[in-house]
Amino acid sequence: MLVMRHISKVFRTDLIETHALRDFSLEVAEGDFVAVTGPSGSGKTTFLNVAGLLEGFDTGSYSLDGVDTSGLSDDARSRLRNEKIGFIFQSFNLIPDLDIFDNVDVPLRYRRMKTAERRERITSALDLVGLASRAHHLPSQLSGGQQQRVAIARAIAGDPKFLLADEPTGNLDSLMARQVMDLLEQINEMGTTIVLVTHDPELARRAQRNVQIIDGQVSDYRPYESHVRPVREAAPQAAGATT
Amino acid sequence: MISHDIRPILSALLRNRTGAVLVALQVAIALAVLVNAVYVVKQRVDKIGRPTGVDVENIFVAISAGFATDYNHAATTRADLAWLRRLPGVRAATLSSNIPLSGGGSATTLFQTPEVKGEGTFMNYFDVDESGVDALGVRLVAGRNFRADEILPEDPTGSKPVPNIIVTKPLAKALFGTEDAVGKVTYDALGHPVSVIGVIEHMQGSWVDSDKLDHVGLLPRRAVGPNATYLVRAVPGQRDAILKLAEEHLSTSDLRRVLRIVRPLDYYRDRSYQADRNIAIFLVTVTALLGCVTALGIFALATFNVNVRTRQIGTRRAVGARKADIVRYFMVENWLVTTAGVVLGAALALGVGYALSRAYELPRLDLYYLIGGVLVLWAIGQVAAWQPSKRAAKVSPSVATRTV
Ligand SMILES: Nc1ncnc2c1ncn2[C@@H]1O[C@H](COP(=O)(O)OP(=O)(O)O)[C@@H](O)[C@H]1O
Ligand SMILES: [Mg+2]
Repeated sequence: MLVMRHISKVFRTDLIETHALRDFSLEVAEGDFVAVTGPSGSGKTTFLNVAGLLEGFDTGSYSLDGVDTSGLSDDARSRLRNEKIGFIFQSFNLIPDLDIFDNVDVPLRYRRMKTAERRERITSALDLVGLASRAHHLPSQLSGGQQQRVAIARAIAGDPKFLLADEPTGNLDSLMARQVMDLLEQINEMGTTIVLVTHDPELARRAQRNVQIIDGQVSDYRPYESHVRPVREAAPQAAGATT
Repeated sequence: MISHDIRPILSALLRNRTGAVLVALQVAIALAVLVNAVYVVKQRVDKIGRPTGVDVENIFVAISAGFATDYNHAATTRADLAWLRRLPGVRAATLSSNIPLSGGGSATTLFQTPEVKGEGTFMNYFDVDESGVDALGVRLVAGRNFRADEILPEDPTGSKPVPNIIVTKPLAKALFGTEDAVGKVTYDALGHPVSVIGVIEHMQGSWVDSDKLDHVGLLPRRAVGPNATYLVRAVPGQRDAILKLAEEHLSTSDLRRVLRIVRPLDYYRDRSYQADRNIAIFLVTVTALLGCVTALGIFALATFNVNVRTRQIGTRRAVGARKADIVRYFMVENWLVTTAGVVLGAALALGVGYALSRAYELPRLDLYYLIGGVLVLWAIGQVAAWQPSKRAAKVSPSVATRTV
């Protein structure tokens, strides 16, 4: 369970303050497959970064899998990222100097896992994405779609509860995009909670749940029935309605 | 734990090796130069620091030159010595034919028989009077000192017999082996017998670069005029004050001569070691510079590696690396580069050391220097890589999503 309540995040530069998230609330239930859409600059990446503990936030609360994340040390956040979260990036972010096997190995090494177990997990993750035969290729020897599948293998090798993907198909053609989407669905069916940011409505439609972020807020936020609390309901045209 | 991380770091490094190879070469050269330079410097420092056997710090030298036609060398030097010896704070003063450790001196050859055949034995000698032993501060370990009545008059030709002599232990050993030298007779170059009446423990003679620097003899003879060289030994702490008094007195006491030079003896010793000192300073400077340049090279490589890998660092952070893991990554990577350099450098240092020892007949390079050099370069490498590594750890994990 991923629970964000009244989160705000402001980017301050010399000239301007950008309210990337404002009074942002959202819950994602275990096993969910949530597609997040919204206009460019609306705060989707910021949301995902906060959710993935890549960035902090200014006010509000965020608990991940029952752990209140505010006040965690940098090391504790690294550890949570490593154990509970798999990240998939728009531009794959494979390490160019490491072969596929070693790329998938990266998060496992940070978990100080035994060699035999790492080997087993890497092999089965690569099997799942259909790239076991490419284990000793370099990323540059693979197509974009294949690279993204390696990135997915890297994200799931550690068996995280949450998979966060920021426009994972943004750099892929539609065929490759569909393959990546198939893979994500398959992973979701195996029990992993997925939050997918995409601007592709067709892909979004395949998710169980759609969330739209506009101007730093979930435009149609409604707390889950199971969390009956006096939560303020954001107006759909929320832009500027709250500070 | 580190070995756990090495393999992927190494394989990434090997896929990007140009900079690493250059820096490793730099480390190798630095090590080779460092080790050999330190070795040479150590030898020079040891050479400069050898015990002289002479009380160098408390002795000064005064040289007077008689020029007037009515200058009376014997009378003037007697008066000078009498004055000097009366001066409170003066331990002893002697006339001497030469200044020890100055690079100028006299030498002759002694023989085993009056026929003066064979190679003979080298002797660097000083004409001194009965105060010579005390004025030099050398230590008599056998036999006796000269008596005043044994001091021979000046001998401008240098051909008259000198029946008694005091020698250093090394010279005694060269002349007579391990037997007790006192009372033994040797022969000067003209075949006159010379008896050893005393042995001094140790004294360095005239030429610091000579391998027979300590083959020294003291002859009981008044040094030839009209130049007079006085060696004056003060009680500790008084040398400079007495030097000043002596300078004032000797320059005015007899106007038939001029006082040419008044200098502490350590001036001459330091001048003799000037070249050794310069080489040592030069090598230390070059080595320090090379060390700095090497550190800079390592720093530049690490900085470059951090800069081109910002996104990779962000990604590593995003998938769970702690800051310490990032620091360790770059420190280990740098250590691998330095180690490659150090291994190559050790081979180079041994090679250079061997060549040097052949060419200059230096003893072979001591392995401890190599080990020390390796440790120093490892340290330089880790220090130089520290700041870039810390900077790498500051890269935010959000770089992974924010950079396209
Ligand atoms: N590091 C940053 N510094 C300043 N402004 C930022 C930073 N990151 C994002 N922003 C701003 O925050 C807003 C939301 O950005 P983002 O979450 O990336 O939007 P999206 O992913 O929906 O396109 C944008 O206005 C963006 O310019
Ligand atoms: Mg975005």
